[in-house]
Amino acid sequence: MTLIYRGIVGLILLLVLRCLFDEKNFWKQVTAALVVIPLALRLLMLK
Amino acid sequence: MTWEWFWPEGFYALAMIACFAFGAFALKLPIAVAMSASAVVGALLAGFGIPVRHLVEGMFGYLDTILIIACAMIFMKTVQDIGLTEAVASWGIRKFRRQPLLLSIGVMFLIMLPGMLTGSSTAACLTTGALVAPILLKLGVPKAQTGSAIALGAIYGMIAPPVDIPVMIIGGGIDMPYVGFALPLLFATVPLALLVALIFIYPWLRRRGAVDEAGLEAELARMERAPLTFRLFLPFAALIVLMGGEQLFPELFPSLGMPLQFLIASACAIFSGQKWNPLDSAVRAMNDALPVLGILMGVGMFVQVMTLNGVRGFVSVSALDIPPWLLYVSIGVSIPLFGAISSFGAASVLGVPFILALLDRDQILVGTALALIAGLGDLMPPTALAGIFAAQVVEEKNYFRILVKCVVPAIVTVLWGVAIIAWSGKLAPFLTR
Amino acid sequence: MNMNFKFNPQGTKATALCLLICALGVAWLANRDFAAMRTLDALIPASGFEEHLLSEWFAPLRDTLLDTPVYVQSGEEPGGSVLVLGGTHPNEPAGYMTAILMVERAQVSRGKLYVIPFANRAGFAHTQPQEASPESMSFTLPDGSTRVFRYGSRDILHTLTWPNPDIYIHKASGQRLSGNEARNLNRAYPGVADGTPTERLAWAIMEFLRKEKIDLAFDLHEASPEYPVVDAIVAHERSIELAAAAAMELKGRGIEIRLEPSPKNFRGLSHREWGDASDTLPILMEVANPSQGRLRGRTDETLVLEGRDKAYMKAAALGRLFVPWDESGKPLAMRTARHLTAVVTFLSMMEFFVDESKAIEIDGLPEYQQLVDDGIGKWLHQN
Repeated sequence: MTLIYRGIVGLILLLVLRCLFDEKNFWKQVTAALVVIPLALRLLMLK
Repeated sequence: MTWEWFWPEGFYALAMIACFAFGAFALKLPIAVAMSASAVVGALLAGFGIPVRHLVEGMFGYLDTILIIACAMIFMKTVQDIGLTEAVASWGIRKFRRQPLLLSIGVMFLIMLPGMLTGSSTAACLTTGALVAPILLKLGVPKAQTGSAIALGAIYGMIAPPVDIPVMIIGGGIDMPYVGFALPLLFATVPLALLVALIFIYPWLRRRGAVDEAGLEAELARMERAPLTFRLFLPFAALIVLMGGEQLFPELFPSLGMPLQFLIASACAIFSGQKWNPLDSAVRAMNDALPVLGILMGVGMFVQVMTLNGVRGFVSVSALDIPPWLLYVSIGVSIPLFGAISSFGAASVLGVPFILALLDRDQILVGTALALIAGLGDLMPPTALAGIFAAQVVEEKNYFRILVKCVVPAIVTVLWGVAIIAWSGKLAPFLTR
Repeated sequence: MNMNFKFNPQGTKATALCLLICALGVAWLANRDFAAMRTLDALIPASGFEEHLLSEWFAPLRDTLLDTPVYVQSGEEPGGSVLVLGGTHPNEPAGYMTAILMVERAQVSRGKLYVIPFANRAGFAHTQPQEASPESMSFTLPDGSTRVFRYGSRDILHTLTWPNPDIYIHKASGQRLSGNEARNLNRAYPGVADGTPTERLAWAIMEFLRKEKIDLAFDLHEASPEYPVVDAIVAHERSIELAAAAAMELKGRGIEIRLEPSPKNFRGLSHREWGDASDTLPILMEVANPSQGRLRGRTDETLVLEGRDKAYMKAAALGRLFVPWDESGKPLAMRTARHLTAVVTFLSMMEFFVDESKAIEIDGLPEYQQLVDDGIGKWLHQN
């Protein structure tokens, strides 16, 4: 189950990255970048 | 309040709020960014520097929540894109249009549904809220009333079972399991939802002749592009089975967790017979979800820093520092006001101390009532998530027009919540086991 | 004043890349702290202790973050056996500092002493989100050097127990609790041999109690000052007589302590399941710790060590606490002294209230007032 959830976090992270790079408003990009931080740490099981 | 008590924690609290307000209003920064900035300021002022570990750790308080919201949003976009929500709505309108009372109530239930499933008023506003808005407007309900009904319905949905995040937050603070809340939460929300349906929707639907029949028929025909069959309904059916099964028979059903349940249900759309682009749905879902996910990250940092610098203790002990007869007033005023930052934050920072102050009452009912009142935080500007998104879906530029209409129902909601606490002893035998 | 000023640069692929690099940089910085939490604090045991690992009693824990040191010392004379378990909740430091002082100082003359100072070893490997806990606390020794110990989280490491269920079902009873309790060692007893990490750890401790035929076992905790069960002993019905005698004795020495019977219908806790599923006499003890309470003000290492807090002063004046409170607060040395004195008092009762053959004698430990006056650092060994 942990692996499946890592997969889900990976999927969400990819979608967030896609939004980050497609976004034209800088501050909305900052919002997306904020969300990247915990997702990346959990994907790598560091926190 | 004495100066010794106020300094310096009270000052930190004011500085954090001022920083947030400046960022959000003067600089028009997204709420997530303004919130993060005020967290950093709170840490700097208290001499902690920029505590990267604390800021990042604070975000993890909402990691599971953002996974739920993200996956729920994907589910919602998917069922919209295959035409399921529209088909259900038009079926409902055709079937119940001549029964305005049933329709008013049905629409209210539809608005609440995504909030009930996801625990997020935003999800409710932006999905079924967006769906019923044009219908209600077409049937002659004015913008302000439609928007208010959606905002309030979304909040009642967020508080209604099966998923109620504020109650989980409050319960977590006093080691109270999230068990036995279904009936009390329905008791807290359903009468209020019915009331809102009756005052904001029903009077306009009952007026005959005011409706543009041809326009409505065209709209309904457009909405029925995908016929409502069981195949089309499959994603929803799957979600009901997965969630209901786990709630009712936890010994038999695997504990998949909400994120996985939403994704499996979304995947069932493959069998609906409709063509849609899953990647496109998911990306749009994430675009809609991101501001909310970002706000939660900001709130996470904010809560961690206010715990670090003592503002949390200052706020919770100050809210308790009142004569007993004023306790209900303090609950009714301080919790919605704190909701200006976040309704979840209000549940954690004030909900827990209040339930501790009311340990002699029935804990489940007190938790229920506090969560109901905390939900109103989503109407409190500047964040006012429910108000902002409801205004968006009815295309009202000034969301304060919606908020003004919500004032009276919000006061009724507070009174209802306080009444549940005051009469918890009498209500408990009927509502809790 | 014109409030319409907007700082609103255009977002491009380049800004996105910069922001992504920044985000990953912040994650990396934070992770240096997170990663540093995973090594275990080293102890300097008193002479006579043998060091073992819990996996020797339950092999599946081997090479996992759940495995944890077990210190064993036998006296010259035969007698009873006692387990002191600290660190069930690594955010309750008086519990594990008591166990650590016993490992560093105890000299057993009669009976056999077992100490597991870091029971929830995986809870020492992280701190709890939104609790703003310090990651460590340091003690100054008489020679001016310092010893540092971790301050952890109540939960088993989240990455070990993720995803967490929404509802936690205690398997032996079907009792339902909120999902976060699935990570709580003290809701998992008697454990499940092939269960979740939490359940396996609980099972390992049960196996230990059964295989070593432990006569008396302590689970040392702390609780929020505003929580009803605090400065208290919670005892199983088989150990309540012994506990009542110990409480009387402690009261005679000026240490007020409540005695609570272990509720029969609240399952998964050590004071209930240890007694039901083994022959041991279980005792759980709580002291008041402001650094884990919800009403606390500024949260830092000073609060953990000194236990003085203006928010708790005010809460006490408002009548919201379940323990007496004054300017001096609840220093960690005093909380630890309470636990240590209570443990020693229980041991002195064994031969009278249990069986003469179960007597246990331990020397070398500080008296209550000594520890309060000297501080913990004086009683730790130099690195």
